[in-house]
Amino acid sequence: MEKSQLAAVLQILKKYNLKGTEELLRKEANLGNNIADGPLQQNSDVSSVLTGYKSDGDPETYEDSYMELKRFVEGSLDIYKHELGMILYPVLVHMYLELVYNGHTEKAINLMKKFGPEQDSYYQEDLRKLALVTKRDHMNGNELTDTFKSNQFIIRMSRDTLSLLKRHLNDKKASVLLNIIQEHLYFDMYEGVARNKSQIDATSGAVGGEAKRQDNKTKVYYGIPKAPDIQALAAPVEDEDEGGEQDNPDKPKKKKAKKDPLFSKKTKNDPNAPPPDRIPVPDMRDHDKYEKVKAYREASKRVTLGPDYLPSVCCYTLLNANHTVNCAEITEDSSMLAVGFSDSIVKVWTLVPQKLKAMKSGEQLEDVNVDVEDVVVRMMDERSGETSRSLYGHSGPVYSVSFSPDKTLLISCSEDTTIRLWSLQIWTCLVVYKGHMFPVWDVKFSPLGYYFASASYDRTARLWATDHYQPLRLFAGHFSDVDCVQFHPNSNYVATGSSDRRVCLWDCTTGNHVRLMTGHKSPIMSLAFSVCGRFLASAGVDCKVLVWDLSHGHLVAELTGHEKPIHALAFSRCGNILVSGGLDCLLKVWDFTKLTEEISSEEVNVSHNPDVRIGDDYLLRSFATKSSPLISLHFTRRNLLLAVSMFDGVST
Amino acid sequence: MSKNAENDLYGTNLSVESMKVIAESIGIGNLPDDAAKELAEDISFKLKHIIQDAAKFVHHAKRTKLMQSDIDAALKAKNLEPQYGFQSAEGLPFRFASGGGRELHFIEEKEVVLNDLLQNLNAKAPLEVSLRSHWLCIDGVQPTIPENPPPVAKNIQKLESVDPINKKPNKETSGKPTTGKQKLRNVETVQIKQLATHELSVEQQLYYKEITEACVGSDEARRAEALQSLASDPGLHEMLPRMCTFIIEGVRVNVVQNNLALLIYLMRMVKALLDNQSLYLEKYLHELIPSVTTCIVSKQLCMRPELDNHWALRDFASRLMSQICKNFNTSTNNIQTRITRMFTNALQQGDKVPLSSLYGALEGLSELGAEVIRIFILPRLKSIGARIEMHLQGPTTSNIDKIASEHIKQLLIKVVAPVLKNLKNPPDYVEEYKQEFGYLGPALHAAVVKARTQPTPSTTTACNISTSLTNVGATITRTVSQPCQIIQQNTGPQRTIVMNQSGRVANQINNQKILFVTQRPPTPGGSVQPSSQSQQNTVVKFVSNTSTISQQKMITTQKLIQGNQPPVAVVQKSTFQQSQLKKADQMQPPTVDDLSHLM
Repeated sequence: MEKSQLAAVLQILKKYNLKGTEELLRKEANLGNNIADGPLQQNSDVSSVLTGYKSDGDPETYEDSYMELKRFVEGSLDIYKHELGMILYPVLVHMYLELVYNGHTEKAINLMKKFGPEQDSYYQEDLRKLALVTKRDHMNGNELTDTFKSNQFIIRMSRDTLSLLKRHLNDKKASVLLNIIQEHLYFDMYEGVARNKSQIDATSGAVGGEAKRQDNKTKVYYGIPKAPDIQALAAPVEDEDEGGEQDNPDKPKKKKAKKDPLFSKKTKNDPNAPPPDRIPVPDMRDHDKYEKVKAYREASKRVTLGPDYLPSVCCYTLLNANHTVNCAEITEDSSMLAVGFSDSIVKVWTLVPQKLKAMKSGEQLEDVNVDVEDVVVRMMDERSGETSRSLYGHSGPVYSVSFSPDKTLLISCSEDTTIRLWSLQIWTCLVVYKGHMFPVWDVKFSPLGYYFASASYDRTARLWATDHYQPLRLFAGHFSDVDCVQFHPNSNYVATGSSDRRVCLWDCTTGNHVRLMTGHKSPIMSLAFSVCGRFLASAGVDCKVLVWDLSHGHLVAELTGHEKPIHALAFSRCGNILVSGGLDCLLKVWDFTKLTEEISSEEVNVSHNPDVRIGDDYLLRSFATKSSPLISLHFTRRNLLLAVSMFDGVST
Repeated sequence: MSKNAENDLYGTNLSVESMKVIAESIGIGNLPDDAAKELAEDISFKLKHIIQDAAKFVHHAKRTKLMQSDIDAALKAKNLEPQYGFQSAEGLPFRFASGGGRELHFIEEKEVVLNDLLQNLNAKAPLEVSLRSHWLCIDGVQPTIPENPPPVAKNIQKLESVDPINKKPNKETSGKPTTGKQKLRNVETVQIKQLATHELSVEQQLYYKEITEACVGSDEARRAEALQSLASDPGLHEMLPRMCTFIIEGVRVNVVQNNLALLIYLMRMVKALLDNQSLYLEKYLHELIPSVTTCIVSKQLCMRPELDNHWALRDFASRLMSQICKNFNTSTNNIQTRITRMFTNALQQGDKVPLSSLYGALEGLSELGAEVIRIFILPRLKSIGARIEMHLQGPTTSNIDKIASEHIKQLLIKVVAPVLKNLKNPPDYVEEYKQEFGYLGPALHAAVVKARTQPTPSTTTACNISTSLTNVGATITRTVSQPCQIIQQNTGPQRTIVMNQSGRVANQINNQKILFVTQRPPTPGGSVQPSSQSQQNTVVKFVSNTSTISQQKMITTQKLIQGNQPPVAVVQKSTFQQSQLKKADQMQPPTVDDLSHLM
């Protein structure tokens, strides 16, 4: 940590009168009192953190310099024109902020009115937000201006374009422009041909510019490790064993004898899988193993979907729920549905004939023989079965719910800033996790259980473990709300989507971001990992589904067709089909196999984003519901698609 | 740089005026201009900020509409106190007022009487959220069930029929997967051009069979269900051509057979289809309009014109026609013009036109609105009057003509009087009317005078039609403009139409077999008919709406007569199949339509 940062921390501690902590920190950091005058000196800095905008440039020159720059961009060769054009937006924003900061409101508004509307359409929303800022006071604590001020706007540019720009700047010596470009813009140079307009448009649009190449250099273990060995348990029953081991249901039976070597060979062949002990996971209990075997057996009856075998969709519609349902989730084995309501209630329905039972009381539990095989069943009170149960405890709209893989726990997050862990055996709240200071938008259980991740209005995502009341990791870096979070199937990574229009992949072990992907033009509301773990699909308010290749962090496809925000994405269990559902009451089925085949046949250039596939080529089918926006999608183990929608009686 | 774009970026700010008004409302008399301006700017900024934040809560609640709770949540996130006491499920009803050069938008706030709230402790509880499951699609095919939207939305159907060029080649409809394995086999067999085959699934065939049987069968309850289904089911689009063919063929055959009951049933089917919100009938109008027209102007629609109430059918069909005109008239198809012309042609033919057709043409025209009546009926009143006078007053006319003339007279008085009332200024002179309208003059005069004295005349016919047509059943009691009610005897031969549908309906359209079973009383017809006829002459009467008691009496006498009749048996025809015979046997002979549903 740098000294200046320490000083800032110290200053804050002082401000809140936390003397003990302050002294401890001083001691630990070996800072004497020599920094005592630091706070004084910094005081002015913190109150006006915008020193970067302090400029004595003549306000008259701004418009001219912008015009000059624009003329230069438009006059340059066609191949460089579009890349050069990328600097116009950040330059305009910073000029505007500088003018506002220095009190030339009139000039700033003129500049914005004149050049704002001609920026790319995906910047208009931010420009509208910036246009609100017309006084220096307004910049205080404003999310967007803070972002622009404290972060450099990243622009990827080819070497040729960059040298062209540098030459121009040297020639002109326009101090205002030069200053802004040096202070607030970062050029991420790459070798090769300059990009064209559509290539640029595909990956721009995020707050803070594009992702640097550096951001996506770390190796990501996106593979799926070998399934935990459940042979020991399954050994007594021969065909259970087979069901458990058989990863691929299509495998002919005669290979049975060789399956063990085959299996181990397969794991060796997947170089992208993380070592199994990369993150610690609690040992499997007998019951978990039993469930696992059951799941495998079920999976062997799975239908392989594809363009010729389209899925069947069973739609669960929530009636009488006008605008009160915020989220829904179905368990992995498709036996339960949990719904979070805006009136703070979480409600769980059973989707199978088995009722939702509660555990017996303490005295009764003493009578249960612990050694019998079906102890879990015996613990439950047969008479308490109900088809739906409500969980009360939150004090604000519930924005997300997630089941633990073993179906005994449910996690929910709410506007009341808390995350609650519920038991689905005794049907009460077990833990309240307080850590986020602001509404929590999303929460997800890890596919291995034990861990869960949350995303919040406070611009952070956090990693928790059920037995820790404080977060294990804090993923900070987004410039705006983190709207959604999703675990990688191997549990080693967490993906987040944010209102800053960036998708980020975080490493659970280190807490660092390992992928940063730009291309969305609006907040991201939904994420889904492909079954193979290599691809990530994201969708949101901009009504597009984007597919990313995690091996290099490239945008590979843009699936358009929805007309309203998309809130649900799901991959079929076989990985061949991607489905998306949105507020436009449409469910769209996309051919993912075709997409992956095309990608793998293509040569991947690490430095360069490949051409983005756009269009309806991948759309297999589109199904409409009757004015019922889709809020959740889930594939059963046998590849039946379950959709959850809420009937919107008002709009009809 | 357009003005719109500018507005987009900067939007509007609260005005200084508003600030002053608000300041006044909390007791600050004269807010200085500077302060007001400063406040307006600051508050606008803060408000916009809060609304921007509230948008996040809208997204996360998976809505597209901003609600009060979102603003509250945004305020809460900013550590501000939420606005308590605002509750509005729908958008806030802004009111606008202007005066003295000032414009004002405000929310109308009603005073709430707390006592009332306290006393009504049992507020209406919201309905509990419930879960319902259905198949959205099965193996890639979306079933047409009420839970799913209609396969082809009405606006697309409309677009398709109005503007066929715009029709996009749908590569993915809700039909069967185009690349299925079965399809591959189809490709192997030579198929040069993809013909639009409209195959019906087995379920659809069954449905078609059930519906058509129920619609023309004898069970009124079942018919009501079937018509309800036709009027409300979303998935009928694919079956529409067949339904239309069924109706057209049915009308064609039954007009020849003079089977009034079946014609009425078929018209009710047309009505049900017209009422179905998910169907757009334009493509089938060229078939339906002639059928409906037939039911309006046909010379004879029933076996015994002097007894049966074919007038009600003509009235009903006329209303259907006006509904068709209203729904589908465009500047390109000119349906209304063409239909008006058709009816007018009938009027122009003078004495050659049978009286029943004349009645139909007049009724058809009068349903098209007051303007049509004024232009096309008024000038002909005199000649029509002369003609019906001949039948009503003349000594040698037949009973049939007399009844028809009486109907025409009543109709004309009913529809022309409101028009004349608006057209002519009081005072009304009998002589003048006599001069202008001949025979009908005095009666019209009386009707106009009567209409003038009534404070609230029944609305113009056009309006009345629209209301009574949208819900025939419900408006029976409401229509007051019906001056008379016709009661008729329920005897006489009846027919049942049975369709042979053993094979696939899809392949049958062109060779549909329609079999007719005549059901007659076993007693020789000759001996019954005259006696009943003699009764009929006394029974068929115009009963004015006011004298309901006598009407009821007459109905009871009818029932008595019915009850006395010998049981009805089926006369077997040689071509009839055994199975169908059984079915026909089970069916009760249709009681000749209780016409009350048409009124």
